[in-house]
Amino acid sequence: MTLLDALIDFLSDPDSWSGSRGIPARIVEHLYYTFAALAAAFALAFPVGLLIGHTGRGALLAINIGNAARAVPTFGVLILVVLLAGIGFLPVLVALVIIGIPPILTSTYAGIREVEGATVSAARGMGMTERSMLFSVELPIALPTVIAGLRSATLQVVSTATIAAYVSLGGLGRFVIDGLGQRDYGEMAGGAVIVAVLAILLDVMWVLLARAVVSPGVSGRLRRTPRARPDDEDRTDQHGTDESHAQHETAAGSA
Amino acid sequence: MDWGYVESNVDLIVSKLVEHLYLSIVPILVALVLAIVIGALAVRFPKSYPPILALSSAFYTVPSLALFVILPGIIGTQILDPVNVIIALTIYSLSLLVRNVVDGLRVTSADVRQSALSMGYTRTRQLWSVELPIAMPLIFAGLRVATVANISMVSVGALIGVGGLGELMTDGFQRNYLAPLLVGLVLSVALALVADVVIVTLQRWLTPWARLARQA
Amino acid sequence: MIEFDHVSKQYDDGTLAVDDLSLVAGNGQITVFVGPSGCGKTTSLRMINRTIPVTSGSIRVDGEDIAATDAVQLRRRIGYVIQHAGLFPHRTVVDNIATVPHLLGWDKKRSRSVALELMDRVGLDPVLAKRYPAQLSGGQQQRVGVARALAADPPMLLMDEPFSAVDPIVREQLQDEFLRLQHELGKTIVFVTHDIDEAIKLGDKVAVMQVGGTLAQFASPAELLSHPSSDFVAEFIGRDRGYRGLSFVSAEGLPVHESSTVPVGASEDDVRRAAGGAAHVLVLDTDQHPVGWAPVNGRTAVVPERLLDVGTTFTAEQSLRAALDGALASPTGEAVCVDADGRFVGVVNHAEIAEHLTTHRPRRAEGQAAG
Repeated sequence: MTLLDALIDFLSDPDSWSGSRGIPARIVEHLYYTFAALAAAFALAFPVGLLIGHTGRGALLAINIGNAARAVPTFGVLILVVLLAGIGFLPVLVALVIIGIPPILTSTYAGIREVEGATVSAARGMGMTERSMLFSVELPIALPTVIAGLRSATLQVVSTATIAAYVSLGGLGRFVIDGLGQRDYGEMAGGAVIVAVLAILLDVMWVLLARAVVSPGVSGRLRRTPRARPDDEDRTDQHGTDESHAQHETAAGSA
Repeated sequence: MDWGYVESNVDLIVSKLVEHLYLSIVPILVALVLAIVIGALAVRFPKSYPPILALSSAFYTVPSLALFVILPGIIGTQILDPVNVIIALTIYSLSLLVRNVVDGLRVTSADVRQSALSMGYTRTRQLWSVELPIAMPLIFAGLRVATVANISMVSVGALIGVGGLGELMTDGFQRNYLAPLLVGLVLSVALALVADVVIVTLQRWLTPWARLARQA
Repeated sequence: MIEFDHVSKQYDDGTLAVDDLSLVAGNGQITVFVGPSGCGKTTSLRMINRTIPVTSGSIRVDGEDIAATDAVQLRRRIGYVIQHAGLFPHRTVVDNIATVPHLLGWDKKRSRSVALELMDRVGLDPVLAKRYPAQLSGGQQQRVGVARALAADPPMLLMDEPFSAVDPIVREQLQDEFLRLQHELGKTIVFVTHDIDEAIKLGDKVAVMQVGGTLAQFASPAELLSHPSSDFVAEFIGRDRGYRGLSFVSAEGLPVHESSTVPVGASEDDVRRAAGGAAHVLVLDTDQHPVGWAPVNGRTAVVPERLLDVGTTFTAEQSLRAALDGALASPTGEAVCVDADGRFVGVVNHAEIAEHLTTHRPRRAEGQAAG
């Protein structure tokens, strides 16, 4: 039987959906791991990113921390913490937080840094305090980039949370690991597909949140006039205002 | 930390290291070439970009472990074949790099394009001699992230028996033995850091103008 | 030469950028296209090197229809300078200049030496050769842009607002150097600008275009100033076209007359005697160069510090505008005329210049309203 058939078998089997080992339960576990890690990573990375972005100091340190964090193999960290602290949620949390920090840190830092100097000078000149500038001027303008970083972090964390199953925890990785052990490809594929769908849904959630939270003046949705002529035979592309997760991450990391 | 382990397993450690290097680098190189081709096409035919972007984002969401496992089913290789890891990592690297290539190619300003066109550059030559070099800083940035990510992901392949240094890690887990885990971990980090330095050095050497622009 | 033969450009959405343009940009001349935004001047320029395709009509370069020529080869034969230079950021100055030779397959050594030579020609310090564009000032970048356009020694140059992006002082320098360069090289140049003053200063012939892509007038700058063919052209040229037109009339016929002068160090009495009733006397140095005006009721001998500034001087080769300016700037109302070496020739006051103007003004066509 083909992989697709096996997958459909797995998904259509009512047993897959019921009980504490069923799909819904595993989804809940998975989301718990994901959001816990994101919250922790955000709590650590966001303030640091704001500070570095606003003051412009310590940028090198932040970028190097970001790069170093990426260099750490998630799998290895997971096992390390298990060996040191025993099986439990902690190893998973640590490993996932390490993954979540770099994108949030670099995009927060980059987003704040990208706020035009003129805007910042104007705010300062009007007599705003540093804190008020940061939260009512710089952050709102940096929001699209920050959210892009959150999207990227979410994607990576959701995807990597599957390895929690290797150390006997739950989550959607359970299907992949169990399926691997029993050579049940349908189950493995099922786990993978559901994670992918979950990731896409979370991504959409972020996009909707961004739309709700980001000021229309910043998001670039309002354009004053269409691009003017003349131009050459091959019209140069309009640079989209999409949040580009990897780009912002990497652009900041290339300093 | 049991140094005795290191002494008695040097050959194993080295062979795993080499395997790890191979499994990380090959996907990057293949992905780079493909990304440039696809990226160039996406810039030439802008309408093709959103679907390409969506497709690559979709691949990116699939967890690496799952991809390692499902690929054999799709392309018909054996589960324990290293090719699975290579192909999966190529797909990941590709998804990441295409974005960087496209953004990089778009950096070239309209003025520079108009000048190049008016001086008599053919389209192809313009791509190679002008747009691609200017895109390099962004492409290198993507290379750094992709390489380091790959080095981390190769370890996960240990779960299907192909994982370079990851196999040392799973060994440590299964035997509740810290030494192989630490060796695997440290070497993996070292490998990533060295790779990063190499790429940055290469970047500095190939794009002297980018650094100067910042200083000017 | 470049010939426009009933050329029109219409875009897909119906906008007519250029409407039935016909003119000839002569060999060795600077032909300037000038007009407000949206008049089609840049579009016309870009049609010459086929970076914008012609909708109807034809353009001939040295007799050959450009539609029949390979576009890429055509462009390699025509120099191109753009606002903000459009230099390749990833190449050094020298490599930027050598771009077209490189494309044409010249060997590296020859390309480089030509590039260095051109740097000298456009007034760039050779130390800049290995630098990158980002390290240069706006004015320097523009010069590199011009050098780059000249590298393969093309007979023709297209220039699209090349001096508009720099500050006025640098712009004037670039314009003057450009004229000097053209004097040496004699290229056929089509130049686009939105600045009518620049057009008048640089152009041998000027094509004034209006929104909608039609040609309002094609004439020499002097003709344009003295006989604008429509209200649009007159308005576009601006209010003081009469005054600016004086730049094109020579100062040669002016009734410059001698006047008594005193040397530096002359005494009070000398001054009063030389003045003969006038309030000031011109003071010259030992080389006969005017130093300043000495007031007659001064109490001491003539020393340079106590003199009134001469203002600007003019030569007979210069224009009436220079002479009038000299008279207006002078504290005594008299413009000082000097020869090519700066030696005093004579003076003329603004009344005399005005008198000269009335008798020598270009005749107005009958029926045209007085300006």
